[in-house]
Order: sequence, then C-alpha cells, then structure tokens
Amino acid sequence: MITAERKPISEIKEMIAPYRKVLVVGCGSCVAECAAGGEKEVGLLSSALRMDAKASGKEIAIKEMTLDRQCVYEFIDQLTDVIGQYDVVLSLACGAGVQAVAEVFPKVHIVPALNTTFLGETKEAGLWVENCRGCGDCKLGVFAAVCPVTRCAKGLFNGPCGGSRTDRCEVDPDVPCAWQLIVSRLEDMGRLDLLRKVHPPADWSKQQGKGPRKIYREDQRT
Amino acid sequence: MDKKGAGLHITVFFCRQLDPNQDVNRRSLERELGERIRFFPLPCSGRIDPLHLMRALESGADKVYLITCPEGACHYREGNIRAKKRIAYTQSLIEEIGLERERLELIVTSAGNPATIDELARGLLAREASIGTSPVKGKQA
Repeated sequence: MITAERKPISEIKEMIAPYRKVLVVGCGSCVAECAAGGEKEVGLLSSALRMDAKASGKEIAIKEMTLDRQCVYEFIDQLTDVIGQYDVVLSLACGAGVQAVAEVFPKVHIVPALNTTFLGETKEAGLWVENCRGCGDCKLGVFAAVCPVTRCAKGLFNGPCGGSRTDRCEVDPDVPCAWQLIVSRLEDMGRLDLLRKVHPPADWSKQQGKGPRKIYREDQRT
Repeated sequence: MDKKGAGLHITVFFCRQLDPNQDVNRRSLERELGERIRFFPLPCSGRIDPLHLMRALESGADKVYLITCPEGACHYREGNIRAKKRIAYTQSLIEEIGLERERLELIVTSAGNPATIDELARGLLAREASIGTSPVKGKQA
C-alpha cells in the first residue's frame, strides 16, 4: 500500500487561493486505508475549508467526490462530466494518482492535498510502517520475508551489524532489528543455510538513475 | 442559563447508555430552546467520528459537546477512550483553520453522580460561556 499524510491546511489554502470552485477528490484505495485520502478525509478537509472560507468572508464552492482509484483511467473517467464545472481539483490521492488525473485533464489545475510517504503495511489500527523500497530486485525469498534494505537502518545485505540490543535496532530502539528477525525466522524454518551466501551490493540501477520506471506487458494490452 | 451563552447554538452528542429515558428526557429542553439545541444520541460515545463534529460546527453549532460515560464504565469497554482521542484530533483540525479548540468539549460524567440527559445539558448551559458566536456563521449570524 502507498501511504500518505495530509498537508497542513495552510499549504492547501495557499494552493487553492486563486480559485472559487473547488472539486475535492478522494481515492478509495491505498490512501483510504491509511486514513489520509478516502471519502471520510475528503469530508473532513472539505468541511474545514468551507468553514475557513465562511469565517474569512470568502465565497467558495466546494464539491466532494471520491473515486475508487485515481491511478486508473477507467475510474478517472468519472470526472469527465463534472470537472469542467470547477476551477481547480484538490486531489487526495498519492502522487501517482494526482499525476494520472492531470494526464487525463491537462488543462485543469490539479493540486495535491497529501504528501505521499512510503510503501508499507497497516501494522495495527492507526499505525503504518514502511517495509518496501520498490528497489526492483526483491530478495525477500532469501531473507525470510524481511527486507533488510528497508527495515535495517543500515540497509545491510550481509548482516547483522552486531549493534542491536535486546532484539532492537541500535539506531532506533523502537524498531526491531531486521537482522534479528531474519536470523530467528530462518532458524525456525531450518533454513539458516540461506545465509551462507555473501550478497553483492544491491543493483540500484533497477530502482533509479534511468528516469521513471515502466512495466510493459504485451499480454495485458488490448 | 448564563447570559453570555444565551444566544449560542449548542449541539450535544451523547452516549445513550447514560440515560435510558433520554428520548423522553431531552424533549422538554428541545421544546424550550428550539433550534438552539440539538441532541444526537449515540449507541456509545465511541461511535463519534470527527466528521460528525465537523459537520455540526459547519451546520451552525457554536459549541459542540460530547458526553461520555465515566472512564472505566463504558458499556462497550473502550468507547469513551476512543471518543476522547477523536475529540482531540478534531480540536487540532479546527485549530488549523483558526477556530478555538474550546468549541469542542468532551464531558466525562462522574460515576457517583448519575443524571438524566436534560439535567446534564442544563448543567452545561448554566456554565459561563468561554466562547462567543462561531465565526463560521459569517455575516448571517
């Protein structure tokens, strides 16, 4: 899941200040799960912006709408009939969603209400943690489904560093040592042999350095 | 009722476990104050959502109360603890738009002093008002 957090309202107000008709659009997928950009958050933000405008004596019309996804054309198309009635779209999607909507409606100003943060999981109610960097060269099969690139503060492929204390990371004692988890899990599975191999440095060219990445699947195309 | 708060519009969300006869007991106050008071009984104060509180303020409430059962006495164990967190979250949100956090207030009832919902509400209305009319009402207020 892609996680995000709402921007400060002062920043959002600055972006929509020149406009009078605002379409606030949520996304019902990842950012709804992390309570940042779903239907409820669209309601909260819209309500706050309307109240702020009334208190300041400003005339502003705010309409609320939530798409199931803002990163897929079939869902974005639901905006086609309404978007022309508004001066600006305030998107509560991740950065991918904001750009996808802007790609479909290049003449409309689409502005982000969220700061996209990381790929992660819902650990418990109200807690989301990063566990994937999208490096393009997944090694979870070797490391007992614990990503050392993301979850080890030092990003070690050949750990542990030896600095952990009582199973906690020496960099941040709130975080479990990723290498402690890797070793314990592999031990439980009887697969400590997987750690005999020395891993070369990660091939970061699969993640960065070549501009935006692309996945192309001929079998999925129409 | 205190003069300073005489003209304020009040919205009261409350846990209906507090008063089994709330449906009857709140009527006299509703008749007395008309549209200046609105009651919203909840199955548990933990049902409250920040969106309820925001919509109440947006709809013209000058002050919004959420009345919960005493701590440790929630019928559903932790509803009133969640209610407290949601009030705090919404207070932060309204502060971002320049509204006073006092416009939202959590009232935790006392275990030793059971009261009907109208008695509880009259007690709140009798307090000295710490805020005036909401700026959200703009010039229509």
